[in-house]
Amino acid sequence: MKHSHLRPVIVGAFALFAALLPYITGNLYYLHVATVIGVYWVLIATLNLLVGFTGQLSVGHVGLLAIGAYAFCLLAGGQGWNPFLALLTGGAICAAIGLVLGLPSLRLPGFYFAMATLAFGLIVSELALAEQWLTNGSVGMPAPSFPTPFDTPWGFYWLVLGIATLITWMTANLARLMWGRAMVALRDSTVAAASVAVPIYMTKLMVFVFSGFTAGISGGLYATSQSYITPDAFIVNLGIYFFVAIIIGGRGVIIGPFIGAAVLAAIPELVGPLAKYGTFFYGFILLVVVLVLPGGFGELITNVASRLRREPQVSTSIEPDLVLLRTAIRVKP
Amino acid sequence: MLLVIVSGLALGGLYGMTALVYNVMYSTSKVLSFGTGQFAMVGGICTAWLVLGLHLPLWLGFLACLASGAVFGWLSELIAVRRIIAASDEHLWVLSTLALSTMVQEAMAIWWGTDPTPFPRVFPQEFAGSFDQKFWLPLILAILMAVGLEQFYRHSMIGKLFIAMSEDSFAARARGVATDRMRSLSYVLAGVLGALSGFAGGQLTFADFALGTALGLSGFIALAVGGIGSSVCALVGGGALGMLTSLTTHYFGAEYQKTIAIGLLILLLVVRPQGLFGTTQVRHV
Repeated sequence: MKHSHLRPVIVGAFALFAALLPYITGNLYYLHVATVIGVYWVLIATLNLLVGFTGQLSVGHVGLLAIGAYAFCLLAGGQGWNPFLALLTGGAICAAIGLVLGLPSLRLPGFYFAMATLAFGLIVSELALAEQWLTNGSVGMPAPSFPTPFDTPWGFYWLVLGIATLITWMTANLARLMWGRAMVALRDSTVAAASVAVPIYMTKLMVFVFSGFTAGISGGLYATSQSYITPDAFIVNLGIYFFVAIIIGGRGVIIGPFIGAAVLAAIPELVGPLAKYGTFFYGFILLVVVLVLPGGFGELITNVASRLRREPQVSTSIEPDLVLLRTAIRVKP
Repeated sequence: MLLVIVSGLALGGLYGMTALVYNVMYSTSKVLSFGTGQFAMVGGICTAWLVLGLHLPLWLGFLACLASGAVFGWLSELIAVRRIIAASDEHLWVLSTLALSTMVQEAMAIWWGTDPTPFPRVFPQEFAGSFDQKFWLPLILAILMAVGLEQFYRHSMIGKLFIAMSEDSFAARARGVATDRMRSLSYVLAGVLGALSGFAGGQLTFADFALGTALGLSGFIALAVGGIGSSVCALVGGGALGMLTSLTTHYFGAEYQKTIAIGLLILLLVVRPQGLFGTTQVRHV
């Protein structure tokens, strides 16, 4: 990947804008929308590692989000734990559940895996309704807020921003280094990746568990941002939203899904009449992107940028080092 | 207890029919469509709307139901499958069929509403407890459909072409089979059969926009239990799943019905990924 001088400037400017957003807009509702986008991003960033980089189509992360939210509410609200400890514990629970779910299902081929995760999402929402002693059923339960510096909308926004930045940094590091190479390799050709000793199953499992952990964190933050949770909040449509954000952003690009998530979350919130058609709209966008632009907008932007920079086509050729090869394969007497 | 068994068999017939629809589409395209259950949903709502809403005669509703399935099947091949197969990307059809299925479901939810509505009686029969038509209709139609499909595959030219394509699509094309047209035809057939299953099960499930997803998942479980490709195995898988669903509803309550069925699926897939009766296929590198 080429390093340009433009990229740090863009990232820095965006970070400054995001950090100062509460001063720029006095509108509490816009701040809430920005917070929710941040909360979703905590989940989507690592789901992108799973869907975009590794090519495992998980539709059921909304189930992990729900478990994280309920765990946070039960531990911090019911048991009176420190909210940060409860948040981390919720993440750990979701990581463990991700491990238990991933162990069998990651062995399955594409459609089977998608169906298994869809089934998991349905099971969680069914159990959230059925287990009334734990979750209050359809009545739902209030979500606790964080201690003093983070209990205002501004404070909570900055908390979410901090966590989201941390997660983005971790994701970018993972994607850039050895793990990321392994993920892309096994997405593009599992057989070829296995033949160069990429641990297929372990890589998938690691990514799935990591994305489970951040889904749990995201669930806790989601509960606080909504301040009250019911099983209705965690329908499968939300899972489809996560999915669409990643696909239109572009598979295998870190920042693309962020733009996707922000645009998709902002449009129904800011343009009122669209809210009713939200899921239909998501499906439509997904279909159009898959048919017309399989790489997503991230790929489009990359292509346009390289066209603008007028980079010449570089063809690399690899010359075999015959002398070294000859010594390597010579049978020792 | 008789009621539990009978309703289990009826559900089983419905799931089995959905599994058969999966099979028909899979044979020519190797695509497991997310929208399989939506055929039944669209067909059921179409009939309920025409017969109970517009007071048209039942045979017209039946024909319209089949026609809606045919059109939907044809469109789903045209929109969501043809270009993807031409691009030969392995994973994208999961996304395109998911997208189409979501769009259809949401469009129905907006137009028809989210509440389940009643479905017209097919035969003039008094409500007869366990022997009511809403129980035997799906079961009988499922068996008829399986037998008919087997006959179709074995004795008709088009059916043999479907088989040839499922064995090796490229070889079939090389022998002069119009594979695109055959695939389109198989989706039309799948749409008609799916709509028929929606018609048969309408009195059991009601005309409900959310039926498609539930039926698609259950039909897939039936298929995974039985193993892809065989009509008999699809029926047996559907029957087993239907009985299990009915029994768990009877003993543990309706709120655990999905959990147990799906838990069983995941367990089974771990132990025997090729299904109970399926055979493993060696994949060449």
